[in-house]
Amino acid sequence: MASLKVVNFLQVLSQRSLIRSFHASNQHFVDIIHRPVTLSGDKNKITINNTEDISVISGVPEEHIKERRVRIFVPPKNAMQSGTHGSKTWRLEFDTRERWENPLMGWSSTGDPLSNTHVEFSSKEDAAAFCEKNGWKYQIDERNWLQTRPKSYGANFSWNKRTRIGSK
Amino acid sequence: MSKYLEKLRNCRLAIKQNGGIIGAYLQLFRTDELKYGNHIGTDKYGNKYYENKSYFVARSRWIDYAPKYGYDFDGSQVPADWHRWLHYMTDDPPTKVKPCPDREWMTDHEENLSGTTGQYVPYSTVTPKIHSWNPPKNN
Amino acid sequence: MLRLLPNSRILSKAIPPVNISYKARECASKAAETVEVFVDDKPVQVQPGSTVLQACAQAGVEIPRFCYHERLSIAGNCRMCLVEVERSPKPVASCAMPVMKGMKIKTDSPITKKAREGVMEFLLVNHPLDCPICDQGGECDLQDQSMNFGSDKSRFTDNQFLGKRAVEDKDIGPLVKTIMTRCIQCTRCVRFANEIAGVSDLGTTGRGNDLQIGTYVEKMFKSELSGNVIDICPVGALTSKPYAFVARPWELRRVDSIDTMDAVGSNIVVCTRGGDIMRILPRIHEGINEEWLADKSRFSYDGLKRQRLTSPMIKDESGNLISVDWETALLRVCDAITSVKGAEIAAIAGGQVDAEALIAMKDLLNKLGSESLNTEEIFPMDGSGTDLRSNYLLNSSIEGIEESDAILLIGCNPRYEAPLLNARIRKAFIHNEIEVGYLGPKIDLSYNYQHLGDTTTSLENIKSSQFYKEHLSKAKKPMIILGSSALQRADGTAVFAKTQQISNELKEAGSSWRVLNVLQRVASQVAALDIGYRPGVENVRNNKPKVLFLLHADNETVRREDLGKDCVVIYQGSHGDQGALMADIVLPGAAYTEKEGTYVNTEGRAQRTLVAVNPPGLARNDWRITRALSEMIGQPLSYDNTNEIRDRLAEMSPNLVKFDTVEEANYFKQSEELFKDIKEKIKQDSFSLPMIQLKDYFMTDPITRASPTMAQCVKANNKEA
Repeated sequence: MASLKVVNFLQVLSQRSLIRSFHASNQHFVDIIHRPVTLSGDKNKITINNTEDISVISGVPEEHIKERRVRIFVPPKNAMQSGTHGSKTWRLEFDTRERWENPLMGWSSTGDPLSNTHVEFSSKEDAAAFCEKNGWKYQIDERNWLQTRPKSYGANFSWNKRTRIGSK
Repeated sequence: MSKYLEKLRNCRLAIKQNGGIIGAYLQLFRTDELKYGNHIGTDKYGNKYYENKSYFVARSRWIDYAPKYGYDFDGSQVPADWHRWLHYMTDDPPTKVKPCPDREWMTDHEENLSGTTGQYVPYSTVTPKIHSWNPPKNN
Repeated sequence: MLRLLPNSRILSKAIPPVNISYKARECASKAAETVEVFVDDKPVQVQPGSTVLQACAQAGVEIPRFCYHERLSIAGNCRMCLVEVERSPKPVASCAMPVMKGMKIKTDSPITKKAREGVMEFLLVNHPLDCPICDQGGECDLQDQSMNFGSDKSRFTDNQFLGKRAVEDKDIGPLVKTIMTRCIQCTRCVRFANEIAGVSDLGTTGRGNDLQIGTYVEKMFKSELSGNVIDICPVGALTSKPYAFVARPWELRRVDSIDTMDAVGSNIVVCTRGGDIMRILPRIHEGINEEWLADKSRFSYDGLKRQRLTSPMIKDESGNLISVDWETALLRVCDAITSVKGAEIAAIAGGQVDAEALIAMKDLLNKLGSESLNTEEIFPMDGSGTDLRSNYLLNSSIEGIEESDAILLIGCNPRYEAPLLNARIRKAFIHNEIEVGYLGPKIDLSYNYQHLGDTTTSLENIKSSQFYKEHLSKAKKPMIILGSSALQRADGTAVFAKTQQISNELKEAGSSWRVLNVLQRVASQVAALDIGYRPGVENVRNNKPKVLFLLHADNETVRREDLGKDCVVIYQGSHGDQGALMADIVLPGAAYTEKEGTYVNTEGRAQRTLVAVNPPGLARNDWRITRALSEMIGQPLSYDNTNEIRDRLAEMSPNLVKFDTVEEANYFKQSEELFKDIKEKIKQDSFSLPMIQLKDYFMTDPITRASPTMAQCVKANNKEA
């Protein structure tokens, strides 16, 4: 709460171009409020720890910051198809919230604004940093690599091996 | 002078048609309006329809809702055949020219029941996705 | 007009390019580790003996294919994977062609493109245009690949209205629907049945345009892995019967989860639409289920919608269960608990309970002063019992089966107790030429084994058997898999001690290979033992508790007659089954697809399910019910959310929250020492198995017993037999 008050105070201070100031230097604001600021030897230089948390000013309701659990994973290859598209990048997914049947039309309804959020990342570190920045708790599921073994067409016909299975 | 005389005459005719001074007062209280005109017809629900061409169009045809409605009269109580005459879709009232012959399958006119106990409440027609367990009964 | 016949079939019995492949082998033997090839001028180092297609995959180029499948043998008959190779007179079938040193593969050249378009044209000539009513629509390889690699125009004209090829549909059981006209004869299903499932039910008849896939005579495809042919079928020829015309893949939400029908812990994807489970698919995990899924796990999801407990219930004066709200039910439980002494309360956990529910129940009962926490499955408690983790795990892991060189199965039927583990043994049997010995009643394991007898005497005399002398004692990495059903016997301790003694003798000094493996049958057992539950319900039978919690316990291990008359039975679970029938108070819990729960599989690998749909009606997550109850009793548990209860699990046993890692356990020596005091003798009788035939496999727990599909499977199997 106290930090919110400080933000409000800062808003009042920079009222003239409120939106711009928040876009341009929101990192600055948050860091001043939350992060320890260390003064280096040079008196004019301030070093700010660069972990950032935008959850205070992102406008996301508190419920969707504190209660949500994020899973970071690489989607597996679809077992129904041989293509591998979509199973290469890291993805972020929220926990499933309740869905109910709309009484008027029988359509499915949800009150969860984050249920359709799919954000893709090139690495799990990026995804984790994004979650930290937004104040979400996350879990990383390690990637499951496909294993291949060299295969040969001749194995079908090798006379002394069990790979010679009478098929077809 | 004749202008005032005519107004007086109209007033007298209106009071006369609406059943004397008391009747006219009650009619004014119910509909905020006092008119006189030719009685064109009455529908099967008891609503009376009037016309007086000396009023300008859109005010020249009106309905006097049946007494059974009391103060709960509503535009949707006008049946379809009279609706078209009342809204100047035609000049022939259904008493003179029937809009269509009576058919067996035609249902009675129904007023809009929204806001009453008879109103339509939507319900799900989707079959339940989960079948609950019914415990067996002892006896 | 040119009427195109699918004469790609002429090419279909691909002739292996013999000379070239020999050359490749020579090169491979000379080359050190890898061979360099060029895929679209990009150099790649590949293992010698790999195919061109594998080399391309390594370079990140996906070659279109229909008949080729990573986990099946190479057929080379669809010809879709044709690529141009420099200095080769014709395009080569990349799936069957081994790589050669310096090979220059062109996957995007005009010749390759033309070859693909030609093959696609031939395939489509005889493929019906019923994509709009086809269940494969949206996830069809033929659809996708014709969009990507096919020609943009058609030369197919049917001026004489002769129609396309039409093939009669086959009835191969209640799980797999066949629309054989759509078949492109890739023979993936035939190869799957023969190689992975080990059931030679499927095959081909006829040649060329008349080639048909089928079972020769009309019969059921009798396999516990039959659902996988739906997945591997690249077109809509084989689709799921229960899922027919139900949903489209793009409407579905996919939730990654874990299966709890057996102790293998297969990775699954639960597909839901509008809060309703539509189907379950396997999720690739090389360590556990590879790409396969057993039929019970795949098709029993309709059991999750039947016979569900959707509101709390209590017994009224006439002894009938009536629905009440949570407050009333929990108050009734409170009254029951507070009117008895702590030690008079007991709990029995069933086979599908998550670790969170187990620990919440344990913490609550411990707070109340009771230590009587039991599981339905029995495990011998004498000797080192469940104190040493290595006693009750499949120590050498499922993946380890592929490293092993001889396997001895004792008193288990892995084919139905853990179908995917059995598939793994079959894989090792085929590709690694391992020998399998088996002790127990004669059954069909889908691979050849040496039957060493079905009595316990054979276990005692195992050392004199030929299999032991020739294979097991000579093996570098022998495996002994002891079935949980053998431990359910009265002399379970003695059987376990004997097996342990044999396996410790087989163990090579200094090697870290673990010989002894116990195959559990139910999903919750390992977690329950990790947390400190006591296996077996002897305790409950002898002590006659006044309050008994049944946590998803439906196997009738304790009957009403075994309990005192004044005993209050509280059932907490998802289905109205045996447990709810004998209960005085019913608390509706969540099934495995409705909660975020931790399950530990038989290897000791902790995995978690995710919420796919919400529990129906008033049903709630199991550990939250226990948490609410503790609050009402006035002894609140110290955790309020999933993270906090996971912390508590970590406190109890850190491996429970190290997801997807197999925690090693290796205390066989110590365990054997502790077993030396056991004087119990093995009784002389034969091993018995609960599941012998396929029809025994389908209905084993409350979910599968409630499932209409599973009931149909049993019916179809009875008819067939």
